[in-house]
Formats: sequence, C-alpha cells, structure tokens
Amino acid sequence: MQLKKPIGATLASATCGLLGALPAAPVAAQEAPNWEVDSSFLYYGEDAGRVMDGSLTTSIRRVLDEDRSFTLNLTLDALTGATPNGAVPANSVQTFTGPSGAQDYRIAAGDPPLDPNFHDARVAAAASWQQALGNSMRWTAGFSGSDEMDYLHLGVDGRLERDFNRRNTTVFIGGAYGRDEVSPIGGAPIGLSPMLPSVGGGEGEGEGDEGGGGAGETKNVIDGLVGVTQILSRRALVELAFSYGKSNGYLTDPYKILSVVDPVTGRPVPGPVGSGLNLYLHELRPDTRTKQSVFAEFRYALDRDSFAVSFRLMDDDWGVTSQTAEARYRWNISADNYLEPHIRYYKQSAADFYRTVLFAGAPLPQFASADYRLADNETYTAGFKFGHRTERGEYSVRLEYYHQTAKPSPGSAVGDLAAFDLVPPLNAVIAQFGYKFKF
Amino acid sequence: MACPCVVLCETDDTDFARCLAAHARAEATRIDRKFSRYRRDSVVHALHASRGRPFRVDDETARLLEYGAALWRLSEGRFDLTSGVLRHAWHFDEGRCDADPALIPALLERVGWQQVTWEAPFITLPEGMEIDLGGIGKEYAVDLVADWAASQSDSPVLVNFGGDLRCTGAAPRSGAWMVGIESIERSGEATRRIELKSGALATSGDARRSIVIDGKRYGHIFDARTGWPTPDTPRSVTVAADTCSQAGSYSTLAMLQGANAEAFLQSEGVRYWCLR
Repeated sequence: MQLKKPIGATLASATCGLLGALPAAPVAAQEAPNWEVDSSFLYYGEDAGRVMDGSLTTSIRRVLDEDRSFTLNLTLDALTGATPNGAVPANSVQTFTGPSGAQDYRIAAGDPPLDPNFHDARVAAAASWQQALGNSMRWTAGFSGSDEMDYLHLGVDGRLERDFNRRNTTVFIGGAYGRDEVSPIGGAPIGLSPMLPSVGGGEGEGEGDEGGGGAGETKNVIDGLVGVTQILSRRALVELAFSYGKSNGYLTDPYKILSVVDPVTGRPVPGPVGSGLNLYLHELRPDTRTKQSVFAEFRYALDRDSFAVSFRLMDDDWGVTSQTAEARYRWNISADNYLEPHIRYYKQSAADFYRTVLFAGAPLPQFASADYRLADNETYTAGFKFGHRTERGEYSVRLEYYHQTAKPSPGSAVGDLAAFDLVPPLNAVIAQFGYKFKF
Repeated sequence: MACPCVVLCETDDTDFARCLAAHARAEATRIDRKFSRYRRDSVVHALHASRGRPFRVDDETARLLEYGAALWRLSEGRFDLTSGVLRHAWHFDEGRCDADPALIPALLERVGWQQVTWEAPFITLPEGMEIDLGGIGKEYAVDLVADWAASQSDSPVLVNFGGDLRCTGAAPRSGAWMVGIESIERSGEATRRIELKSGALATSGDARRSIVIDGKRYGHIFDARTGWPTPDTPRSVTVAADTCSQAGSYSTLAMLQGANAEAFLQSEGVRYWCLR
C-alpha cells in the first residue's frame, strides 16, 4: 500500500506556505562514525651506519555510544644496523664477541666500536577501554604487551579524570604497572665481569656459563601521574602534571660494555689470560631507579592557527636530571591542509655511574655504564608535519631531523684517546607517513 | 507542549542569548495555548463551539489548516487533522492500553477532512467533529523559533522541543551538533549518534506509548481511514530535512506506512534512521 509518487516537492511547497520561506541551507545530517582507524609507517635512520628502524602502527577505535569506546593498537617493528657497544675507539683492531658466540666482530683501527648484531623484530599490542561515569568523570583502563627476540613486556594502566568548574578544570590521575622479562641471548652476563671469548658456539657456553642470569631477568616498573588541565580563556589552556616512577629488577643493558685502558696511554689493556681479547667489562647499573618529573604545557588558539609550548623537568636517583622544551605551531593553510612545524630541545646531565672509559689499576666502581644515553647530552630536534584532509580521512607526512651531542666523562681523553671522538654525535632522520579515517 | 523545550546557543552576546530564551519560551507557550484543546481561550475551543457554522480563522491558523490539508492529500487520507476524536476509543497509559474497539465505527463517522469545508479564511466543521493540530504544532513552533533566531544572528543555535529539533546559523565550533537517538531498550542512552550541521531532525514513535494487542504491536498514530493505529510500525523513525515541519511530516507519514516505512523514506530520498 505505497504512496504512488514522491511527495518531496509538494511537501516543500506546502511548508513554504506554512512558514513563508524555506531556509537557504539544505539539511546536512549524518550518522556519527563508530570506527576510527589511524595507521602509519615510520622510518627512523641514524647516520654513520647506525640504527635503522621501520615500523608499522595501527590504532583502531570503536565508539560504542557517547559514553564508551574501545581502542586496540598494534605495532610491528623491525630494527637493523649497528649501535655503539660502549667501548671506545683504539689505534689497533678490536675484536668483540657477540652474544651467543656466533657473531664475533672486528672493528678497524680508529673506527667507533659499533655492534652490528643489532637486528630485531618486535610486535606490540595494547587494548584499552574508555568509559564515562556520569557527566563529569571518565576512566580508562588498558593492558599492553610487546615481544621481541630477547625482551617481553606486559603491563596494565589506568587513568581517571574529573571535571570541575563547568568543565573548565579537569583533574586527572593515572598509574601503570609493567613487568618486563629480559632474556639476553647467551644469558645475562655478570655485571663488571670481563668479556670472554665464545667457545664453540653452543648454548649455555661462553659468557652465560659463568653462572650468569640463566633463562631471564625481570624488571618491574610502576608509574604514577597526577595533574590538572585548566582553561584560562576562550583561547588558552594550561596543563600541569607531576609524575613519579619506580623501577626495580634488572635495569642493566646486557649487551653493553666498557673499555678498560691504560691511564697514561689510553690504549686497551689485555683481557683474561688466553682469551685473545682486550679487557672489556660488562656494564652494571643499580637494580632500582626512581624518577620524578614535572610537566607544563600552554596551548593557545589564534583566529586561524594555534600553538603549544611545553616544558618538562626530570630528576632521578641515578643522578640524571633533564630539561625539555618543546614548541609546536599549527598553521591551518586551508580547511583541508595544515602544516605544523615543531622544535624540541633536550638537555641531560650524566648518570652518577656513567663512565666513558675505565682505567686499569683504578678500583672498580660499584656501578658503571658507557651507554651514551646516560651521558651528559643535548639534543635538538626540528621538523614539520603536513596534513591533508579528504572526504574520507586525513593523510599526513612528518619529517624530523634529530641531532644529539654528548660529552665524555671528565678525564676520559687520555693518551691516544684524545685524538678520537669518544662519544660521537648522533644524527637521525624520522619520516612518517600516516592515514587516518572514520567510518 | 508536554515535553522539555531546550534552546542551545553558542555566542558571546548575552543579550541575544537572553532574548532567544525568552522568545522561545513565549512562542512555545503562545502556540500551545492558542491551539490547546483544553483552554477556553484557544482558537480550537472556539472552533469546536461553532457547531457547524462557518468560522473565520486568523492567518496563522489558516496556514496550519492548509498544511494539514496538504498532508491529508499527500498521505491519501491516512493523516487527518480531524482524527483526534478517535482518542475516545483508545487510552494510552505508560505502555498499557485500554481500548474499546466497539466505539470505533461510530467515531469514524466523525473523522474525515472530506467532510470539512475549508475556503480560507473560513472553515466549516460539522458538529461533533474536532480539529487536532497536535501532530504538526510542535514542529511548527520549532521552525518559528529557528527562523526568528536566524533573522537575529548568525550564531549557531539549536532549538529542541522534545526531540523535534532544528539548528540554524553557523555550525557550532565542534563542527556539528551531536544528537543521540534514544535507545528503545535503555531509556536515556543513545543508541545512534547523528552529526547535524544544518537542518532539522524529527522523531516519531515512542516505545513507551506503543500498544500490543494479540501479539501485534501498534504505534500511536491513527490511520484516519481505519480508525486503528498502523500495525508493524518501526518503534522509532527519525528523519532529517530542511525544516522541522518537513522532518516531522516525513516521520509521521512513514509511521503511517507501517511495515513499508523504510521503503517509503528510501524512495523519498531523505536521510532517516528506523529502529525496529
């Protein structure tokens, strides 16, 4: 029993008679999308033959209703290249044993010691649930995990937010707990023990044999965060946050070593008798670390564009203190295109136990690491992101250039070492291509 | 209006916001009283007291009667301004229904726009018949307030009288007004979310007011030709159109199509959401 012909035109005419006129703008109504997908491919490449990483990330969010949603993240990473092993260059060829005996490597005289056995593949996944509790409160809970050849991470996290002052003020509190298992190839070496030659290459022989870590070492991390976001005006808001973190367990990098050199000549000294290697000691870090940081961000909306400026101060019980300053400007070129330049400055003081090199004859410190990431360093990052919106979604390209310089620990440049760049600068490029859409 | 009436506005201009609220309240009250069946000072009451004699109506009432007449023609008689008397056979009360079908044939004799003589500005309503503008009055009020707001300011405004709504002016800062269609199962929770950038939305059907007889579910909009509510209606029909009156008419006519509601709206080419 259908009506015979479409009624639209007649109805419009009747409505015109009722109201006197019809509105100029036609109706525009559509169902709000329930799915949001954000995916990107990222390339990270350091210079001088160092690390290269390619990763693919996808985030899928499903909105169930206005109060609840669910998000799933998946990342696949592949790492290759070489990374500093912590030793310093020398005027002679240096031989290092790789983990598990199979990958011994030699570094030419004068070259920076880079460990080429740096390939890995990683899978990481995270799931979280977001829910509103009434009109002014929201909570999120999630868990995450990642797995690579020698490292497994499992974690849970949660966050609670509450609005006040007609939503002009939001207070948030969050926490996370992670349990990581490090299973270094060949077992975790005993800290500050000498690097030994690989024997035969069978499992359990070589370094791990000295009663080292066995199957795996664990590490527990808890983090807490508390903060507030405050709207200052129609255009401005500020966020302040304080975070605290404590890790304990195996915090050492099982693949990093320190060179032991003659305190006058700076040349490598021989390792254990019959080993045929120089003396290199495996690094050792404390088994606890407590970090605190304060973060402040200011965001401002201009008529067309917007910008954000942030600062972070971090301090821990390893002696590392750092300052970060970051700024971002969003230039909305048109309704569909934007360009967002970005700069960041980071400065860090060295950990108490950071040593670029150890000296033969000096007493062994309780802890020592030559990892350049624990040294006095400064990093400059500059880049931009360009985005283009289409009807279905948004494409984006991000390019960043990263330059880090580090200082060796004082008194390291003795003898031969004075001619070398003991902690060479790091330059890296990040290129990221992304596509996000809703449906 | 028997429903919550809300006006939302994004503006810096507190004077405009106050005027808008006052105007919306005044118009809703005025229309409600002018066409109320219960008030002695209403036009409808005076019309019913005319006892079959030609009755002169003002311009606004004339336009509403003309609109109702157009809907009667477009729905082939299913929608009828004179079908109000059928309520005497049906009592809706929070999902329960007491009905007396034996009364329907007698009541049907008092239903039928074809029995009305309408030559603007005079209407001759046979004695015993009634005019009920409840089916179109609320959407009309929304349109009046929205048109007024548009004439006063470009600020984004949303006029929402009990789920029949229309927005005007620029889109809000977030890009669109977010409207939830209430879930049938869980009252107060939105089962669908609609982004409205311009235009109107109207919803017909209300789970709390439907009735079930012999296992068949009926809506609460009467088909004036039969005296019965249409069977097999969707539990809720929401339509998007340029004006609230058009949106409301589409959703009412769709409900009157019963099982064919979706097909009807599909062939009309309008955006709609049906919940069954």
